[in-house]
Amino acid sequence: MTPSAQPGGPTPRDELAEATAHGALYLRRLRQRQLALSLLTLIAFGAIVGVLPLAIDVVPQLRRLDVLGIPLAIWLLVVPLPPIFLILGALYARRADALDESFRELVRRR
Amino acid sequence: MIAILAVAAVTIGTVGLGAMGTRLARTTSDLLVASRAVTAWWNAAAISGEYLSAASFLGIAGLEMQNGTTALWQSLGFTAGYLCLLLFVAAPLRRFGSYTISDFAEARLRSPRLRGLASGTVLLIGGFYLVPQLKGAGLTLNVVTGAPYFVGVLAVGLIVSLNVGLGGMRGITYVQAFQFWLKVFAIALPACLLLIHLGGLPARAALFGDEFPSAGAKGLAVPLSAPQPVTFPAATRYTVVVSSRGRSTARAFDAFAGERTTLPAGRLLLAPHAAVPVASGTTALRGSEWARPVGGGGERSPVFVYSLLIATFLGTMGLPHILVRFYTNPDGPAARHTTVRVLGLLGLFYIFPGIYGALGRVLVPQLYVTGATDTVVLRLPQAAWPGTVGNVLGAITAAGAFAAFLSTSSGLLVSIAGTISHDVWPRVSRERTTTVAIRRLRFRLAAVLGMLAPIVVAFFAQGVDIAVLVGWAFALAASTFCPLFLLGIWWTRLTAAGAACGMVAGAVLATSGILVGLALGEPGGVAGALLAQPAIVSVPIAFLAMIAVSLGSTERPAPDAEMLALHAPEGLDLPDLGVRDPFVLGPRAGA
Repeated sequence: MTPSAQPGGPTPRDELAEATAHGALYLRRLRQRQLALSLLTLIAFGAIVGVLPLAIDVVPQLRRLDVLGIPLAIWLLVVPLPPIFLILGALYARRADALDESFRELVRRR
Repeated sequence: MIAILAVAAVTIGTVGLGAMGTRLARTTSDLLVASRAVTAWWNAAAISGEYLSAASFLGIAGLEMQNGTTALWQSLGFTAGYLCLLLFVAAPLRRFGSYTISDFAEARLRSPRLRGLASGTVLLIGGFYLVPQLKGAGLTLNVVTGAPYFVGVLAVGLIVSLNVGLGGMRGITYVQAFQFWLKVFAIALPACLLLIHLGGLPARAALFGDEFPSAGAKGLAVPLSAPQPVTFPAATRYTVVVSSRGRSTARAFDAFAGERTTLPAGRLLLAPHAAVPVASGTTALRGSEWARPVGGGGERSPVFVYSLLIATFLGTMGLPHILVRFYTNPDGPAARHTTVRVLGLLGLFYIFPGIYGALGRVLVPQLYVTGATDTVVLRLPQAAWPGTVGNVLGAITAAGAFAAFLSTSSGLLVSIAGTISHDVWPRVSRERTTTVAIRRLRFRLAAVLGMLAPIVVAFFAQGVDIAVLVGWAFALAASTFCPLFLLGIWWTRLTAAGAACGMVAGAVLATSGILVGLALGEPGGVAGALLAQPAIVSVPIAFLAMIAVSLGSTERPAPDAEMLALHAPEGLDLPDLGVRDPFVLGPRAGA
């Protein structure tokens, strides 16, 4: 960093301070967006997994109905959830990467 | 015999490969450099390999046999824990660059004292999690060689101490990845072959109908090495054969439904299709109750299921040996993509334990008599398919189980020994400059010391289900480190005092719940369910305590540098960013 202060213009120190202030603001926005994305995914997860125990407990048909000789409740517990986790995770990761990338572009453009 | 060979091969292979790999990667920074070449798939397999423990390999099937399909929620929670890690922790923590939970606590909140508290909690959780691993080891050696339970506990405790003390298993990605595929193979192949051999699930009435588990069409003979208190679920005629002084005498009895009695050491003979008595302290379940994933009281109630889901979902990130593995990812996005793959790999593994629990209910009902349902994965192959094939399959599951607790307990002990030698060791010697040799000796001593308490506890925990013991470790982790990470990473106002209060509140509530539950002999009802799995209460209180104390303090933290290090994407070249290295950041506390 060379001292190139000119009368009237912003000094490097000012530029740095300004950049840091802007940077902090942008970073805060990025953090909030990332958190919102995580919470959204969490809500989707919670809606699926959170409802299941209650549904199985309250709706007796789920336990009585047999599919291939095994109660439907057990199928619901074993089969669909792990793939759903995987899909939720993959969607989240793609979106989170995109948020990071747009932040990078924002910073580079300045 | 073949099982002994298989177990020995796994042990020697693991210890040998570990020792060899250590020579290649001695320090953590070496590990980091070396791992840049490791792909996300290898990393994911390694993370999964270290994670799948005795609880996953033996415990879930055992608990399912004992308690019904409620146990399957646990495998769901074990997988979902990585989703939570992915959403809130993986990428920021990788960018922050702390290698342990204690490092994170100190660097994020600039408080050496909080580091001390975090270290203590690491030891507590690590110890809690080591106990079920040792229990699994004791059971497996007992099944394979007939050695008494405590011999197996001691032997594996020693092997793991030696392995870690000599530096084995530390950060060797390929060994752990290999362990993962070994475990998948060892649990999937026997399960699939047995299902084909049996032509699907047998005896549906005991599984999903109205029947108790029963002696098969040929009756059942159960050898009892010690007097066994049991409960008869239905009226049953049974014979007890007792031998003393070389003569054996047989006496027949009639049990009424609900009768409690103590069977003498010897042999219990049950007539064909007679309902099998269950060890006292456990409940005999009819097929329809057993097959019900939720419903009923105690550990089958909805409250318990939700509490368990919370504990496993939020607790995974707080296990001492989990996060270390994430530093083999080169950067934040890589950490994300590795975690997504972990979700897939774990989902694959957890297809299989449930099959053993269901088959075991029908094919090895004698385990109900002694309450040793945790051994169902080991015993099922021989019982379902007598002869060479069953023996070979049994050897495969035994080897897989051994791989499971060798890898997990080694990973745990590395964290525990590191914490002891770095944080707990008397400070006097830490102030002076220590040579590498002294530090290494200290780590080795710590590796032995850290094993002592879990071994002692494991002796007394023989009667407690593996899956239950593991549930406690998760409850503790979820009540302490989960709020620390979530608030520490995403909330700027968190103070060191707030973090400390929350962690103490969570730890005290979770531990006391578990201890009171034990002291009261596992009471029933909602209260019993909460004592057995306190996470649904202790986690929110820990969060609230952290937030309330942080907001209440006059301190206004401005963790700009820390937030930058946690959340700034890679490749920015921002000015004045000398904060990426937490070891630089820590001492700059006043800046």
